[in-house]
Amino acid sequence: MIVQISNNALVIALTLYVLSFILFVIGVVGKKWSNRDPEAHVRRYSRTAFILACAGLASQLVFFGTRWSYTGHLPISNMFEFLSTLGMMVAIAFTVIYLIYRSPLLGMFATPVVVILIGYAAVFPWEAQPLIPALQSIWLYLHVSLAAIGEAFFAIGFAAGLMYLMRTVNFKEARWARRGVEFTVLSVLMVVGFIFIVFFFRGMGYEAQFATVETVRDEAGNELEMPSTVTYTLPPIAAPHDSEVMYMDSFLGMDKPLFETPGWMKGVNAGRKFNTVIWSVISGLILYGLLRLIARRPLGAAIQPALTDINPDDLDEISYRSIAIGFPIFTLGALIFAMIWAQAAWGRFWGWDPKEVWALIVWLFYSAYLHLRLSRGWLGAGSAWLAVIGFVIVMFTLVGVNLIIAGLHSYAGV
Amino acid sequence: MTDNIKCECGHLNHVGTVLCESCGKPLADDDGQGLLEMRYDGVARRSQKANPNVLDRIWNFFSSVKVAVYLIVITLVLASLGTILRQENTFYNPALTDMEKFYREEYGLFGQIYYSLGLSNMYESWWFRGLLLMIGTSLVICSLDRVLPLYRALSKQKIRKHLSFITRQRVALQTELDPSAGPADAWLERFAAALRARRYKVHMEDGALLAEKNRFSRWGPYINHIGLIIFLLATLLRTLLPGWSMEEDISFIEGETKAIAGTPYYLKIDKFVEEFYTEEDLHESMREKGVGMPKRFEAEATLYACLEEPCGQPGTLEELARHQIIINEPLKYDNLAIYLFYYEPTDQIVWMNLTLEERDTRKPLGQFELDMFNPAPVMQAGEYEIRVTDFFPEFIIRDGAPATKSREPRNPGVVLNIAGPGTPPEGYRYLFVPKLGIMEELEDDSYRLKAEPEGNFYLSLASVDDVRLAHYKTYLSVRSHEGMWMIWLGAAIFMIGVVMGFYWQHRRIWVRLDGQSLALGAHTNKNWMSLRREVADALTRSGMEADQKDLDNEVKRS
Repeated sequence: MIVQISNNALVIALTLYVLSFILFVIGVVGKKWSNRDPEAHVRRYSRTAFILACAGLASQLVFFGTRWSYTGHLPISNMFEFLSTLGMMVAIAFTVIYLIYRSPLLGMFATPVVVILIGYAAVFPWEAQPLIPALQSIWLYLHVSLAAIGEAFFAIGFAAGLMYLMRTVNFKEARWARRGVEFTVLSVLMVVGFIFIVFFFRGMGYEAQFATVETVRDEAGNELEMPSTVTYTLPPIAAPHDSEVMYMDSFLGMDKPLFETPGWMKGVNAGRKFNTVIWSVISGLILYGLLRLIARRPLGAAIQPALTDINPDDLDEISYRSIAIGFPIFTLGALIFAMIWAQAAWGRFWGWDPKEVWALIVWLFYSAYLHLRLSRGWLGAGSAWLAVIGFVIVMFTLVGVNLIIAGLHSYAGV
Repeated sequence: MTDNIKCECGHLNHVGTVLCESCGKPLADDDGQGLLEMRYDGVARRSQKANPNVLDRIWNFFSSVKVAVYLIVITLVLASLGTILRQENTFYNPALTDMEKFYREEYGLFGQIYYSLGLSNMYESWWFRGLLLMIGTSLVICSLDRVLPLYRALSKQKIRKHLSFITRQRVALQTELDPSAGPADAWLERFAAALRARRYKVHMEDGALLAEKNRFSRWGPYINHIGLIIFLLATLLRTLLPGWSMEEDISFIEGETKAIAGTPYYLKIDKFVEEFYTEEDLHESMREKGVGMPKRFEAEATLYACLEEPCGQPGTLEELARHQIIINEPLKYDNLAIYLFYYEPTDQIVWMNLTLEERDTRKPLGQFELDMFNPAPVMQAGEYEIRVTDFFPEFIIRDGAPATKSREPRNPGVVLNIAGPGTPPEGYRYLFVPKLGIMEELEDDSYRLKAEPEGNFYLSLASVDDVRLAHYKTYLSVRSHEGMWMIWLGAAIFMIGVVMGFYWQHRRIWVRLDGQSLALGAHTNKNWMSLRREVADALTRSGMEADQKDLDNEVKRS
């Protein structure tokens, strides 16, 4: 019962965020429509859009609170919980920054970030699991939630940075900048495409299964061969390395895998992950292609006219400001609290675990950003590119490290 | 090149000064129209010196923010390379592993290159540490190079600034005061009052005004750098100073007592308990997957001091501390902390309380306790003396004779010599392997079993309480806590510094009246929108119509 309420609250929140996004877009794009006062139009739509975003946040807080109450722990212990909470933190960070700057454009760029994060979270298993002993600590809450708030501000910095680029890049002449913007848009679309494709095949109930042999090596270097089965929920373009089809639903006449995952791709379920990446790329390219066909020009150039009224300096400052707000929070949550916890649990505050290293890389990257900005006067485009790249590194640290590298944080539910 | 630059206001400035330290007149590009570069208030840094010598050059190198950014970028790129393959320090026992072979066989050619470049152990390598040391040096020098001149400049600011200093600020306004609205001085008073209401500190001097707030936020970067320096120094000291960091991994079987190498202490793990989630623990939605997941594991640990050598026997140990160690709660004593980091199931005998019986009649002759980890050399059972003459922790028969496979007491076997009433003076020798149920008399001095295996004695267990079994093997890590205060102090100072620097902004407003003409300029290190709003608001309160947009110097110029 409570599980149903909780999960529904998240779906409602997601819907409200999507509506908020649509209204922000109408508010910004529609001011040039005939027979209306542009300023009043923007004000009316952006106010409603902001109220919807707040309602979405409230609904998500209901999800957060109910889930907390029935699982007995803050919902940050697996990928579904963490990413949806990160989405909520971005919504909170957006609310804060919006209240400072009142920029409807920010809504147009920040709400999709929230929607994509929650949509991406929804791909992972929704079931709650109890906390294993290693995670039973107050520091789990402090470390993860504070790190997520910091990262949420970086997300707003990313959104504003991308807006800055779309506003200022000369899409006719600056070839590399145009490619960079298009590539960023394409990357975002790959995530969106991935979400759609997963839910599409989940709705169809698609499944394929492979028999394979997993080679495990123990400490002494002895190889042990363990038979195992791998289940795909996306049609296998790439089968696992050295595997046989046990059964496979046919999709568009495709009834056997196109090729095998190369053997040098190591790790748990390397084949399935590789297959997922292929699907993400394909679906992202299709989405991009469709949008490009509709727009008939680079997507950045298509969005640019909507941004002409906004002062690029303000975007530059919003991006910088949210990174400056996020940086101390990130340092405290992702590094200092992490060190305190590591000291309490393992007796070493730092152990060069891949996730630790990547948190440090994020921190070093934003340190470099701040130094370039404050002391070397890197304003505008350079700064905006760094804000965009920085958030890509953040997402890699949060998701990529767990999917590809693992290490001590592998219990994070992937 | 002269040593000093004289400004038209008469002030002598150091070489490298961009804006006159006194009146703010631009010294470098003095007839430009663009916005002024206000970094470090245009003062000359320590590194901007004529005729630098070698030391100056080193100083100059490290004082450059460009160099600092390069160092940061190099560090982050290298650090990311280290996460591609498994690091050597993640092996439980790196000394026992042939690393080169491992990387070659596991990862192929790439692994081989990775290993030979030293990337597989990079975080401990001299070059990576050297890089961190260079960042530390850069932190110290960059800060010193800037903080002192900046402090000097901010503590002796002239109120009346040069006109071009004011008009070339990013937030600026030039206008004529309306004479009908009263004298200029009265307006300036009203403006000053409006700024004071906004918590500015206002200084005035014949028709000029300087309002300033949150200057302390300018010291934020230097304070956070001090924190980082302390932090890096602490990590350096922990690796250099003996005893500041120790790490000793020990495994215990339940009931085992062991010395902690490098300390005068002994540790005993009495018991290990593993608990699993049950239906009652969990909400119904979590039961399917959650029931049976580990809920809690704890090791009952006791720390002892050694009273007399050799230690280990009862009575030689004094209890110091006792704690149920769980993963997030180590046993702490003095500057040591003992952590649980791994466990595995096992099945071993810790000790047995044995009854010595006459073989045929099963008549009890006496009792004695046999410790399977550390058997006492002589034991007494009634009138019989029992000596342990040989001990095989993991008993096997090799080439027809008893031997041990390892030093782990997985299947202990002992050779006992039983002497007393009715035995020859040298006694009878027995091979006793409890797990295999062997209790046989041996011939003479050899390990050969007697032809007819009856013998004279039998060993039995009176009840189940007479045997102590170990079901778990736990792995603990003993670490010293020395110097951690310095780590946390550095982190705390860093946080104070970044919060000061990022959550407050240093804002200044200059006004200069020349008759009825007014020049206003304002500067902040961030959050320009809000500064413009604040200035516009104060102007409105002083009775002048002002809009934020009119204050934006950049927009006006473009």
